[in-house]
Amino acid sequence: MQTLDQIKATLEQKITGARVEIVPNGIATLPGSLLVDNAHALAVANFLKNDSQFQFDFASNVTGIDWPERVIKEKVKVKKLVDGVEKDVDEVVEKTTPAYLECVYHLYSISRGEGPLTIRLRTSDRGQNVNLPSLTPVWRSCEFQEREVYDLFGIQFTSHPDLRRILMWEGFVDHPMRKDYVEPDDYEYEPTPHDELIAKAQRHYPQEATS
Amino acid sequence: MIDETLRNELKRQGVFTTNLAELYNWGRKNSLWPLQFGLACCAIEMIAASMARFDISRFGAEVFRPSPRQADLMIVAGTVTKKMAPQVVRLYNQMPEPKYVIAMGACAISGGPFKQGYNVLKGIDRYIPVDIHIPGCPPRPEALLHALMALQKKIESDKLRGGGRPRHLDPEQPSEFPVPECGAHDLVPTKNHTLWNPKPILRKS
Amino acid sequence: MLTQNETNPHLFLAVFIAVAIVFALTPLLIARLWAKLFSPQKRGPIKNSTYECGLDKQAIGWVQFKAEYYLYAIIFLVFDVEILFLLPFAAVFKQLSIGAVVAMLVFVLLLVEGLAWACLKGLLKWRQS
Repeated sequence: MQTLDQIKATLEQKITGARVEIVPNGIATLPGSLLVDNAHALAVANFLKNDSQFQFDFASNVTGIDWPERVIKEKVKVKKLVDGVEKDVDEVVEKTTPAYLECVYHLYSISRGEGPLTIRLRTSDRGQNVNLPSLTPVWRSCEFQEREVYDLFGIQFTSHPDLRRILMWEGFVDHPMRKDYVEPDDYEYEPTPHDELIAKAQRHYPQEATS
Repeated sequence: MIDETLRNELKRQGVFTTNLAELYNWGRKNSLWPLQFGLACCAIEMIAASMARFDISRFGAEVFRPSPRQADLMIVAGTVTKKMAPQVVRLYNQMPEPKYVIAMGACAISGGPFKQGYNVLKGIDRYIPVDIHIPGCPPRPEALLHALMALQKKIESDKLRGGGRPRHLDPEQPSEFPVPECGAHDLVPTKNHTLWNPKPILRKS
Repeated sequence: MLTQNETNPHLFLAVFIAVAIVFALTPLLIARLWAKLFSPQKRGPIKNSTYECGLDKQAIGWVQFKAEYYLYAIIFLVFDVEILFLLPFAAVFKQLSIGAVVAMLVFVLLLVEGLAWACLKGLLKWRQS
């Protein structure tokens, strides 16, 4: 398979206006993924599926990720005057990343025996603008998984043929896999609780849990 | 009522004596027809129990009925999701009396490994009266057979009249239990307080 | 006229009928008595509602089915019987004489004739009501 840089170059060359960004993996030895802009996602997906050099004909997995607002610490080399001499000094810069939702597709090419290629789509925030283009018209296997992402993360897929909840019932309002989901307060006493449960019990029933 | 020692003496002489309740319970305990439905992996063990190796038909319970109208026993085999719970309760309500429930496996008892999940009911005994609980994840077929034998013992000791008679012979006891509805955040209500009342834990607000 | 010793030859019929009625009614009466004495009837709106695999009922169950299903069942039966005879035929095909093969061909031809007749009659076309 081509490297991510090659794929990115090809995509940007073939699809005018497409903005593709390489997202490195947190583990350096594992391959990263391609972040595709929402406006051209459908065109990029079609190209990846139909172009003879890629032929990604199988979307095996669609996942959602909820990224709350977070602070990233980065080490940056800054030139500074130390004792009158200019030196490279490591400085920690804190960057705040705005909150957003992400949808991750794992693509395989069965005819070429290649994969996976991971592409990501990102919403602009996690409140009102949670629209993403649906890739179900390109890969039919995305239909149920996008429904699941919609159900659990609340990403609205435009042009999805049948966007309904799939695991939770109609009339359920929350999106349970979001980080800020508060589950209904239905705690039961357990003799051997997990750590998380102990914390929850202490929040709800301080005397019982600590005794 | 016949004296127990006299009865044993008669039995030794080859005379079998019985009474109506015993005969009635003997007939019922040996023809428990389960409702044929499985919810998760415990159902596989239930299927194994009904096959030749474990052979649940030795206990007269091999006739898995596809309709609740013909079933006596509900084996809740597997995880009950909140989406499925109303259906399970409704199926239980549609079974004719007498009816019994075996909660099979950790999930049916308490939610099991998925207890803290957003979509899993924390035990079916929140909505319907459970007669036998089988722990295990999943329980082996032997455990299901053991539960069935325990249920048979329970049926054996049922009285026909008076206090302490089983639920189905008491006209005061309900036969239907309220079916929960799917609400905006959780099932409404989250439990049936007449059935499931654990020790209340005081909250420090 | 009947004498003292002779009985009515139809008497045994009456006895039979009486025994049959008692025989049929006794279990019913016992069951009724049992229910009255011990087992209370517990009816309810959910218990009496239509069985829909636990879901709420969508509509009533008294709907009409099209008569065409019946025709399809009959035509299916033609092939069903054909397979029934063709399978053992196929198993010993190599040892059979030419006469047996011809007989089988005639049999298949008869069935095909029936299918052709059904086709010409327009029975294989599904009519939208």
